[in-house]
Amino acid sequence: MIKGSYNKLKGILGLSLSLAKAQFKLRNEGSYLGIFWYLLDPLFMFLILLFLRNVLTNKSVEYYPAYLFLGLIMFNLFRHGTISSTKVISSNSGFIKTMNVNKESFVISGLLQAIFSHLFEIIILISLMIYLNISLFGLLFYPFIFGLLVIFILGFSFILSTLGVYINDLANVWSVFVNLLWFSTPIYYVATKGNIHFLNKINPLFYFIDSARDSLIYGTFSSFDNWIIMITISLVFLLIGLIIFYKNKNKFAELA
Amino acid sequence: MENKEVRIKLEHISKKFKIGTKKKESFLGKILNLTLGVESKKEFFVLNDVSFEVKAGEIIGIIGKNGAGKSTLLRVIAGIYTSDSGILKTNGRVVYLSGFGSGLKTKLTMAENIFLIGSLMGLSQKDLRNKFDEIVEFSGLKEYVNTKVYQFSDGMVSRLNFSIGIHCLLHKNPEILLIDEVFGGGGDIDFQKKAIAKMEELIKCGASVIIVSHSLDTIKKYCDKALLLEKGKIVLEDVPERVVGSYLIR
Repeated sequence: MIKGSYNKLKGILGLSLSLAKAQFKLRNEGSYLGIFWYLLDPLFMFLILLFLRNVLTNKSVEYYPAYLFLGLIMFNLFRHGTISSTKVISSNSGFIKTMNVNKESFVISGLLQAIFSHLFEIIILISLMIYLNISLFGLLFYPFIFGLLVIFILGFSFILSTLGVYINDLANVWSVFVNLLWFSTPIYYVATKGNIHFLNKINPLFYFIDSARDSLIYGTFSSFDNWIIMITISLVFLLIGLIIFYKNKNKFAELA
Repeated sequence: MENKEVRIKLEHISKKFKIGTKKKESFLGKILNLTLGVESKKEFFVLNDVSFEVKAGEIIGIIGKNGAGKSTLLRVIAGIYTSDSGILKTNGRVVYLSGFGSGLKTKLTMAENIFLIGSLMGLSQKDLRNKFDEIVEFSGLKEYVNTKVYQFSDGMVSRLNFSIGIHCLLHKNPEILLIDEVFGGGGDIDFQKKAIAKMEELIKCGASVIIVSHSLDTIKKYCDKALLLEKGKIVLEDVPERVVGSYLIR
């Protein structure tokens, strides 16, 4: 029984990796800039927001470039992971209709690609931290926060990929929501009170980004409450996602 | 045949499809549905009370007109669709084969495609590395291994497809094989012969096989028994010659 599920999980992850690899090759096919495209988008966004710094926020933030960039790339991970999941079942309907494949793999492979570009962005972050003379010690905690964030996004992706089967234009609707979420996350600004702060507090992404900044940039271990909230959010979302996905996955072949 | 184990057993399998009159699959449409009430959908039976069994080593042919439910039946057995009622028992690894090559990525090279399609068919990277040379050899496209597939001719594409598909299938050594409208691999006469020999090897290695085909000769040549499906029901179950004869005068 345990061996069976272990093998199944191994199969799912192996297939996810192959799919992500193929997608990666397809994306960089015939492009001279290749993987630099992954970095160009967050870098430009970063430079623009940094340029507008004085307009966008009136508070002085210590190590503002690192503060901004870390928030930006963590949000990007969420954005890319979830947006790719909205269409993932219908765009692979050819396989799903004709093969008894593990459908989880398509969802996971989308997230793997997002994680892959995230790793490149982390390299830039590290260079930025070195430039700003920030101790790299905090990086040791990042894998835990990152892991929880990935679990949270995975749960979210399972929900969205299931909904995407029933709602054709979910991708359009979702990208509007992501934009709303972008402004309600303190990425380029800081809020400590008022409506905006309240909005931040009900936004799950806030806790991940906040904790990451605490430990990476400011060298403080994030509050115990933050950790409890992150663990709860990620596990609850994963559970809900899995339940919704498993309840519906047998219908994907007919509907996609 | 009496003492052989039963590999596939269907008891009173039925499946309904719901067909909406108007398509309301957009976000706004769903919300309107919630507020205005769900539109009525037409239901019809694709499979209606289907029962039969297949023993180990048996080859069964299924014939019938378009829309009779042949492919749906195979997909239910393969576990791609779920039936609405009835009991389905399968004993062994099931492989559903509907055409070779649904997933070649034309902007990837031949080698990359072999790894992609192979892993979709459930092989691990290690198995694929072992099988790689055999697949390339059989397709006869050795000098194009690192060429991107969009530069291939149609014949080359179908040879590649067939070669990947058949080797992965042979590797998985299925106990239950469901073949949907494919026999042979396209390409020229020489390759066609090679492909059919490979298919014969596949269906004669002791698996329980169900073949759906419009090629009545194929059914007559390979099958021990044939079923005639009409509007989701089995109307005749007999030796292939008689079923084919009956199908032709309908």
